[in-house]
Amino acid sequence: METTSGTLKPCGQELSPKGAALADDDGSMLKASVAPNKPPPLLASRFAMLTRFHAGYFRISLALSGQALLWRTLSDSSTEPSALRPVARSLPSAAFALLWCLALLTLVALCALYAARCVLRFPAVRAEFRHHVGMNYLFAPWISWLLLLQATPFLRPEAPSYHLLWWAFSLPILVLDVKVYGQWFTRGRKFLSMVANPASHMTVIANLVTARAAAKMGWHEGAVAMFAVGAAHYLVLFVTLYQRFLGSDSLPAMLRPVFFLFFAAPSMASLAWCSISMSFDTGCKMLFFLSLFLFASLVSRPTLFKRAMRRFSVAWWAYSFPLTVLALAAAEYAEGVREPAANVLMLALAVLSVIVTLALMVFTAFRTNELLPHDDPFSAATLPTRRTPSS
Amino acid sequence: MEANRSKSSTTGAEVPSLLANVEVSHLDGFDTTTPAPSPHPPLSPRTQQQLNQDDATRPTGRVRPLDRVTHRSDAAIPQFDSPFQPPGSRHAPHVSISLPSSPTGFSEHHLPPHAGGDGAELHRLSRTSAADEAERPPMHHAGRTSKVMFRSQPIPGGVPAHMGGRMNSRAGRTMNRGRYDSFKTFSGKLERQITHLAGGGVPVNTPEEEEVGDAISGERTASLAPNVDRFFAALEGPELDKLKSSEALVLPSDKKWPFLLRFPVSTFGMCLGVSSQAILYKTIATAPPTEFLHVSLKVNLVLWFIAVTLMSIITAVYACKIVFFFEAVRREYYHPVRVNFFFAPWIACMFLAMGVPPSIVAELPGWLWYALMAPMLCLELKIYGQWMSGGDRRLSKVANPSNHLSIVGNFVGALLGASMGLKEGPLFFFGVGMAHYAVLFVTLYQRLPTNATLPKDLHPVFFLFVAAPSVASMAWAKITGEFGVGAKLAYFIAMFLYASLAVRINFFRGINFSLSWWAYTFPMTGAGIASIRYATVVDNTFTRGLSLGLSLLATLTVTGLFATTMVHAFIFRNLFPNDIAIAITHKKIRPIMELEQRSNDDDSRSGSSTTTKDIEAGPTAAVAPES
Repeated sequence: METTSGTLKPCGQELSPKGAALADDDGSMLKASVAPNKPPPLLASRFAMLTRFHAGYFRISLALSGQALLWRTLSDSSTEPSALRPVARSLPSAAFALLWCLALLTLVALCALYAARCVLRFPAVRAEFRHHVGMNYLFAPWISWLLLLQATPFLRPEAPSYHLLWWAFSLPILVLDVKVYGQWFTRGRKFLSMVANPASHMTVIANLVTARAAAKMGWHEGAVAMFAVGAAHYLVLFVTLYQRFLGSDSLPAMLRPVFFLFFAAPSMASLAWCSISMSFDTGCKMLFFLSLFLFASLVSRPTLFKRAMRRFSVAWWAYSFPLTVLALAAAEYAEGVREPAANVLMLALAVLSVIVTLALMVFTAFRTNELLPHDDPFSAATLPTRRTPSS
Repeated sequence: MEANRSKSSTTGAEVPSLLANVEVSHLDGFDTTTPAPSPHPPLSPRTQQQLNQDDATRPTGRVRPLDRVTHRSDAAIPQFDSPFQPPGSRHAPHVSISLPSSPTGFSEHHLPPHAGGDGAELHRLSRTSAADEAERPPMHHAGRTSKVMFRSQPIPGGVPAHMGGRMNSRAGRTMNRGRYDSFKTFSGKLERQITHLAGGGVPVNTPEEEEVGDAISGERTASLAPNVDRFFAALEGPELDKLKSSEALVLPSDKKWPFLLRFPVSTFGMCLGVSSQAILYKTIATAPPTEFLHVSLKVNLVLWFIAVTLMSIITAVYACKIVFFFEAVRREYYHPVRVNFFFAPWIACMFLAMGVPPSIVAELPGWLWYALMAPMLCLELKIYGQWMSGGDRRLSKVANPSNHLSIVGNFVGALLGASMGLKEGPLFFFGVGMAHYAVLFVTLYQRLPTNATLPKDLHPVFFLFVAAPSVASMAWAKITGEFGVGAKLAYFIAMFLYASLAVRINFFRGINFSLSWWAYTFPMTGAGIASIRYATVVDNTFTRGLSLGLSLLATLTVTGLFATTMVHAFIFRNLFPNDIAIAITHKKIRPIMELEQRSNDDDSRSGSSTTTKDIEAGPTAAVAPES
């Protein structure tokens, strides 16, 4: 379909005309292009939804699973004598169970939708896989499953079902790893310097989540292996993204919330290393501090996100998961250091992540129709049309 | 221009059509030019000279018709240049195409579209004394008197041509005072009031000038400093401080600017150099490997006091610069190389804290570390954030060895904090510094093609490569409590880099002295101190010899540099040459149409201005004008 070079044009400028065009024709253009044999109107709208649905919607499940894990961690740590106990007691277990169920349901629904899309709209899925931003979100469902697995209240890490599920979710990640990372340094148009963008952090985060789950499961070697792969590619990605060979053109303005992944990756690395080394040692601390710094750096540049904040879109859900991971890392840090300042930091970050997620849920509930907008820059990318996508 | 301002609100897109429809050649007194190749640019610069000489009258007879008709293409020219123009720029290049309101009223000339800024104009002002009309590029001038209504059509982004008017009138009166006003914080109003109070022969403030003054301060708030591309386009050299021959300055290049305008932020490099020497001698006096030298702590005391005095003086002068010439400070901040020197004061303060003689203060208070690191953190958030967000100032574009100054601050802070006994804070800055150092190191080694600032030849700025690993090794040693594997690794990297630079010492010859060289001595001192720390752990003849050798080399370098500085200060009296880097124009001056005509002019002009540009080059330039 489209080529990487075609998508590297400044997306922001192209967005409005394309969006306008799509909005004008609305469903009819989409239907005409993707379904040559026109289905009946009711099915047509459903098919249109499948077409506009893309892997980026898994951000919602990521956010919710992350929240579930955060609540689980906060309530777990209450067993240790720390300042967390009063906080943890205030989190009713019923609310946690509700959150976990909500996360599970959302994940199952999204997976079902995506499976339907794979079956019915396979060309779109293939196109998405080839897109430099879209392909990273193919890791997202597996990350969500792993997070949910770790947050499951009734499943202990030593249980065989846990092991089985871990293998079930990690194998796809491994396969995708080999494909995506291999492309970074072998495939002509997909060299890292050309395709690197903040969403590429998803690949690194996937490896790190797998490593953490493996460490919790007790399999030390596998955990270290996954961590090594993740850390090595994180180093390369970090340098490349900071250099910004192409400037900020690699990501459309609507997807700026994805910049939050900059600090999600080191936080996840800190968590993973903490599980591997069984204590929050110096390396974990440095990674956590780096992610704090990057968080401060992004938060002090609100103009970066101004354009994306004009309209509600699924990209807004990208704010939640990184904040949750940062709060998780802060919780581990507070556990390790046991200083009042650390506890305050952890509480502040946890509260922030909960508020943001709740706000996003409220927004989604009230603006569901905007969740599948017509001019979502990403959905244009998945359309198998003659038009080159903006992103 | 005031009258014209209403017109200026129309967009530039209108201008070409307007011009195309207007036939001006028949108008009396309106400057027309012939498209035929003329020896000098079509717009009449001579009138500017005459105007300067006599601003009170509007000599109608002096205006000579210009040589060509303003074509539609002329109007298009500024639009071509306008991408370089940040909106609302103060010094504005604006392209003004004047149309006469009435043939008789139009007594002066007109100006064809020119993209000169205020600066270009001032530059021209400075050259009016040289009766070199042929070389003057088109100038933009707006009716400076109430009699002439201007009909300029400034292309968007412009600003006031009335600035020009003001400048002209002032120039007539005071050739010196007006031209630096654009850099002053208080737009010269304070100065006028002071001179007025002093009862000097200052002309009465006309209402026009008052308005202009307000407008200047108004614009100032809305203005932006030159785009980073502009710095790369106009300047060259490893420190981006040499003006390209095709560029012009906002300020007169043949006059010595006010001292504060010539005082760059890189002067803080002197503090860095001297305070690091203080630390070196403190280490030599107290560390086991060098105890056999029996160097007394008095050396440290003396050096430390010298460093403190120097720091206070430089800080006071720079504070004056901030107060009086804030625009100049802003321009330094936007300069891709000078911005890194804004970290220097804080690093120097930390060096002072580390080198404080034990006889003065035994224990440093904890709040001092937080007080010193807070501004550093803010600066870092800003600079690294610019790298990360990948806009104009992304790393692949602006990376240069001076960026090491922004990274080293992290390690110095970590070292200071660890020696004060703090735990988490030093680790924070070490982690952040390490991550960003990895990025910068890789980028500089890559020598990306998009990177314009890396010098092709070697230059003392490359010694900054040695600074980060050597300070990082000391910081890690302090954090972990021992000179362990991590610290040794960093130390060996620093030694390798030092050696690879030292064997290329031949390539460092023939470079002109500048005050920022002081900043490049602290890496050598840092390497010496790190060697002493290493020799404490691994004690044998070789390591001792190495530490002594490096310390000696550092001291000799600083002494030599001190001597050179004294020579330049008192004998050549050019320690503070005109700071060209801050005075570039916002937009390149010449219109595209006249490139061919201009190129000859530029060649002849650059020949004459070489001498002025070489003020910066120092005495060696006098011997070799084409250095």
